[in-house]
Amino acid sequence: MTVPPVLRLVVRNFRASLDSITLLVMFGQPAFLIVILGTMFNQLIPSVGSSGSYVAFLVPGMIASQMITGAVLAGRIFWLDRRWSMVEQIFSGPFRRYEYLAALLLTTLLFALVGVGIMALVALPLAGLPTLSPVELLVILGTIGLGATFFGALLIAIGGRIRSANLYFTIQSLLQYFLIFVSTVYYPVTATTPTALKAVVYANPLTYAVNTVRDAFTHSFGPGDLTAGAVLGGLALVTFGLAVLSFRSLEFGPVQ
Amino acid sequence: MSTPEVIASARDLGFAYQPDRFAVRHLSFELHRGEVFGLLGRNGAGKTTTVRLLTTLLTPTEGGGTLFGRELRACGRAERARLGVVLQSESLDFVSVEQNLRLYAFLWGVPREVAKARTEEMLALFELGESRHRKPWALSGGERRRFQVARELMHDMELLFLDEPTVGLDALTRSRILEYLAARARRGLSIVFTTHILHEADLLCHRIGVMRQGRLIAVGPPAEIKRAYRGPRTVEAEFERPLTPEEQRTLRGRLESAGEGFSLVALQDALVVFQARNAEGLVAEVARWASPIGIDLERIAVREATLEEAFVRIVSEAPERAPPLGEGGP
Repeated sequence: MTVPPVLRLVVRNFRASLDSITLLVMFGQPAFLIVILGTMFNQLIPSVGSSGSYVAFLVPGMIASQMITGAVLAGRIFWLDRRWSMVEQIFSGPFRRYEYLAALLLTTLLFALVGVGIMALVALPLAGLPTLSPVELLVILGTIGLGATFFGALLIAIGGRIRSANLYFTIQSLLQYFLIFVSTVYYPVTATTPTALKAVVYANPLTYAVNTVRDAFTHSFGPGDLTAGAVLGGLALVTFGLAVLSFRSLEFGPVQ
Repeated sequence: MSTPEVIASARDLGFAYQPDRFAVRHLSFELHRGEVFGLLGRNGAGKTTTVRLLTTLLTPTEGGGTLFGRELRACGRAERARLGVVLQSESLDFVSVEQNLRLYAFLWGVPREVAKARTEEMLALFELGESRHRKPWALSGGERRRFQVARELMHDMELLFLDEPTVGLDALTRSRILEYLAARARRGLSIVFTTHILHEADLLCHRIGVMRQGRLIAVGPPAEIKRAYRGPRTVEAEFERPLTPEEQRTLRGRLESAGEGFSLVALQDALVVFQARNAEGLVAEVARWASPIGIDLERIAVREATLEEAFVRIVSEAPERAPPLGEGGP
């Protein structure tokens, strides 16, 4: 049986491009944050909105932020493939460029889902997990899928235009931390949040993804979340287009 | 006699990375099945860009060409599946040498059992058996190059592009790899080979194309290239006894008057070394000078021009003074 090219590339992404230490750090860090922040801040912050305890508020946020973890890992694979000429090598083989891009995005999604599983396992003893209806589960997975596509395609589009490892990884780290901290992953927007910060938080697509996942967790999913999903889908289309453009004009040769 | 099948061709092919800054221009040649074609040129001459164009990594900005009979611009997965490409830059995955070979075979859809047998064959052929569990970046430069060639040979192909595959290899390994490639070419594999080690090109290639500033300025079999661009050749003669100053003076006079492009390299004791375009004529002239005065020649030899000498002449001359040679097949 012949394995389709996209799946061959996905298998290769998993087997060849990631070492165990990187995976441990990428998935271990948010798990560590759930434990530390959940335990410490749960005492300081008695309740947050409809979630109840702070740790119950934090868990869906950390789960939703796995789309960023997946995107960062896919961006890293793409960058290393450029650095070690594997993009050029693969493109000169029996693959189409869109297949490589599709494989990267599929890898992003799979990493994000692995991350979701790990976060859920870590959160279970601390906060428990709500019983989700099939629709709520679908909403969570769909939101994470759209978010992973949005952030993955964004990092791939950036990675295709930059020829310096330092610059790429600096931009990636800045984006990763900025997007996570200036969102509702760790804390909600409240009446006391400064207006300027509020504007930035609401301009951040991660906020919509986190809020939707949280609403599904608290069984309060509503029309606002549908709008958020549509906006996220539109943005994912835009960054996907940017990634395609970046691939079309991809320059081969040494990057540093 | 049947005409050999054209497997790839360039037709006034050109590529500009920026408008009006062409890396390759007016490139025209044909590559036949089973032929080993050497692409030579100084750094930046356009060899790697030519390889990228013919492997469809780049789209021509002018002219065109074919790959397995299909226009380059229309080529896709089906044509690339018949290619092998060893890039000039190192390309590797972050797993051991053996896993790299197996994973690459998997990427190419090579059946598992075939991949397993071929992995062993390649590890043995390229002397990587002891390094099979090491990561490629932990290998020496030469080992990494061997690994890269070995990995590409994990799958079947009809046309193999080798962009400087022997950089950093020792003479013995180089010779083994060249022998293997020559054997594969005899079994029908076509090869496009770029190198700066001209002796290799001379040994392996049926035809050579020399590039300069993005243009192909000479194409032909190595022997023909050497003959056409050899320039003055060196003659070395040794007499039975040292020549007297008077004999040296008269010999020099005879050679200077009969030699075309003559230059004396050494005239000392019993030895005379000189260069001239009409080297054979001057060999006879030395014999005619020596015989009447009773000096015997111990030895006299004309050193054949090397491909390196021809190459230096080709790339040193202005393009308009170096017209392309005729096309020739394997």
